[in-house]
Amino acid sequence: MNSPAEANKRGVVRFRTKLVGAMMLVVLALTALGLYFTQRKVAATAERDLQENFQAKLVSLHKIQELRHTALTERCGELVSKPRIHAALEDNALDLLYPSAKDELRDLMEEPEPSQAEAADSLHARFYRFLDATGAILSPPNPQDVGELGAEVKAQLALKKLPETQQIGYVSETSDASDEAVDEVMVVPIFSTETGEVISALVVGFKPFEVISKSAGPGLKSGIWMNGRLHLPSVPKSAQSAIGDQIANAVSKSDSVQNNINVTINGAPQLLFYKLLNPESLFPPAYEICLYPLTESVAQQRRLRWQIGGAGALLLLGGFVVSHLVAARLSVPVEKLALDSEKDRLQRRRAEAALASTSEELERSARYSADASHQLKSPVSVLRAGLDSLLGREDFKPEVYHELSALLHQTYRLTGVIDDLLLLSRVDAGHLQIEAEPVNLGELIEEWLDDLSALPDSPEMKIEKELPAEIYVAGEKRYTSLIVQNLLENARKYNRPGGCIRVAARRDIAEVVLTVGNTGRPIAQTAQQHIFERFHRGAPVSDISGHGLGLNLARELARLHGGDLRLLRSDNDWTEFEVRFRVARPSLRRAAEVA
Amino acid sequence: MGLRGLLFFNAIFALLPITVFAGAVVEGRVELPKSHFAPVMAKRYEIVTTGGVLSPQPPVAVVYLDGSFAKPPSPATKQIAQKDLTFLPSLLPVQVGTRVEFPNLDDTYHSIFSYSPAKRFDVGRYRPEERPIPSEVFDTPGLVTLRCDIHEHMRGLILVLNTPYFVVTSPDGRFRLSGLPSGRYALKAWINSKTTREQPVELEADTVLHVDFP
Repeated sequence: MNSPAEANKRGVVRFRTKLVGAMMLVVLALTALGLYFTQRKVAATAERDLQENFQAKLVSLHKIQELRHTALTERCGELVSKPRIHAALEDNALDLLYPSAKDELRDLMEEPEPSQAEAADSLHARFYRFLDATGAILSPPNPQDVGELGAEVKAQLALKKLPETQQIGYVSETSDASDEAVDEVMVVPIFSTETGEVISALVVGFKPFEVISKSAGPGLKSGIWMNGRLHLPSVPKSAQSAIGDQIANAVSKSDSVQNNINVTINGAPQLLFYKLLNPESLFPPAYEICLYPLTESVAQQRRLRWQIGGAGALLLLGGFVVSHLVAARLSVPVEKLALDSEKDRLQRRRAEAALASTSEELERSARYSADASHQLKSPVSVLRAGLDSLLGREDFKPEVYHELSALLHQTYRLTGVIDDLLLLSRVDAGHLQIEAEPVNLGELIEEWLDDLSALPDSPEMKIEKELPAEIYVAGEKRYTSLIVQNLLENARKYNRPGGCIRVAARRDIAEVVLTVGNTGRPIAQTAQQHIFERFHRGAPVSDISGHGLGLNLARELARLHGGDLRLLRSDNDWTEFEVRFRVARPSLRRAAEVA
Repeated sequence: MGLRGLLFFNAIFALLPITVFAGAVVEGRVELPKSHFAPVMAKRYEIVTTGGVLSPQPPVAVVYLDGSFAKPPSPATKQIAQKDLTFLPSLLPVQVGTRVEFPNLDDTYHSIFSYSPAKRFDVGRYRPEERPIPSEVFDTPGLVTLRCDIHEHMRGLILVLNTPYFVVTSPDGRFRLSGLPSGRYALKAWINSKTTREQPVELEADTVLHVDFP
């Protein structure tokens, strides 16, 4: 008994461990999956936010730039349509060109030079020049009036031919390396009002647009990359050349006029955006460079990653605890089940043993009862045969014959008791099988009534019958007959002289109800509940034959047939029993009729 | 009265030599370039620029007798008005030393100037009621292009000539110059800023010479 319990316990522990393991695996997988997707989503969101932020800044920057360009274009376009400038160029008065332009461009040139921060909003021009029909610079009489230029810039300004459309260019002065300057140049062609041809061009130089990062904090920085050199004042010189090389690399690789690359300046990651500023220009291509520091975003991402990791660890811990609890909770019924099943097994084994012994006992008792009745019947037969032969002799006194006849009668009674006991023992052992067939109840009753009336000591009594023409019940004729016989015999036996017997049968849905009533002294109230017990007799009347097994046997048989037997009433000179049978199924009845 | 009266006065003045001095007369016809425009009913000219050439529209020519003649003792005064944002007349031949007034007959400012080598001037912007009327003396022969600094499309031409003998042809190109001195001269027809035709003439008193410019 001990070892299976221990095995059970081990099994339960194993089950619990397995459960925890499986749940942890699931939790682990879910957590990992969740973390993976969260991380991906967060990274994507961060990237998108960054791009959006950058794009938003870029867009606003470009909008300002565009506004400035539009203003400049408009202003320059206005300038080149001035009659004085046209007059000077068309009426062969080049000496008046710069003086005339000085008046017209006064607002551009003589504005006080703005501070660097305001340069973006200002239309202040650094210099202007006119180009002649060949694209060479027309020398101004007083260079200080129109902005002095170094030789290098002059060389960059001169064009091979005059442009037909407005051009944007960038010129740089590298002569003084410490103060490298880039100028944005707008070249506006001047069309002759007489010939419609380009006769000259106005070149106006401005400070290029640049977003100056306020207080060196994080923000967008912009500069210009041209001729392989980066001009980004807010970036240290050492980094400029390195970034310049990266841009040169990126520009040479892709044909697109704008793109993003990631660069590192002094260990800080930056997003670099470049865009061709002067597509299809006669001037060498210049790229706008925007730098956006990624430091903050990288730090934010790292922070987020840590947070996600922490959350994952917590989740895992929570999952572990929960799965432990759940496993413990789940294993309780399993444990109980295991214990119960162990108990059940024991009980079943016991029950099986008990059943086996009971069955054996039953078998034995049935055999005993059969043996007993056999053992009883044989001497009774011998006894009866002996008494019969004695009665056949004629040398006894007449009282002796009377005695012998009484003894013979007792042997018949004994046989009846033995038969009944035999039948009861079979019923008790469950060996009695009913083979149901339609039995004509009316016919059966008629036969028995005939037999009763033929009995020699039958008192004078009235018999009332209320039987339908054909009434069939399901049952085995032998036993059905026994039930009817028992009831009718009782009704006769316990009747009073001049009394009556009333037999009635009727259908009650699926049953047939047979009532047998008789006049006579009723059964005592106290005895009524015992009348169906074995060896009990309704009345201690010695002159009435019977052995106290009839009602019991009748009831057992009625119940075996799916019906019942009960006492309806017993008072006021009237005792009535009711027996219920199952109605025979029509098919059975037809079969019986055919037979 | 203004302009119309002035023009009439000018015409009378121009015809005076014919009746008084009865000098030589040249008449003829200048073959004018084809006009792309419908004939203008009012005698108003505009200066148009096509292919770098300034020419009056509808086409007219200025025929003049080239040579060295004495300046008139008192300089003449002529007018080019600004009306409806155009110069009126748009083409004015004058003898050297002539003062030209620029009355503003519009409701707006004008600012007449010229960068032409023959005469550079700038009268500045002025209102219609500006008095005295802004004027300039033209004492160098040549073609002067008038512009307005405010209205960039406005063009006017003043042809400053050495000679007092000149006439603007009719729209069909006919001209007649009378009271001319005798002698050998070059008769020139200015057709536009790039084209001036020339015919040698020998003039005799009281004779009418017929000269056509093909």
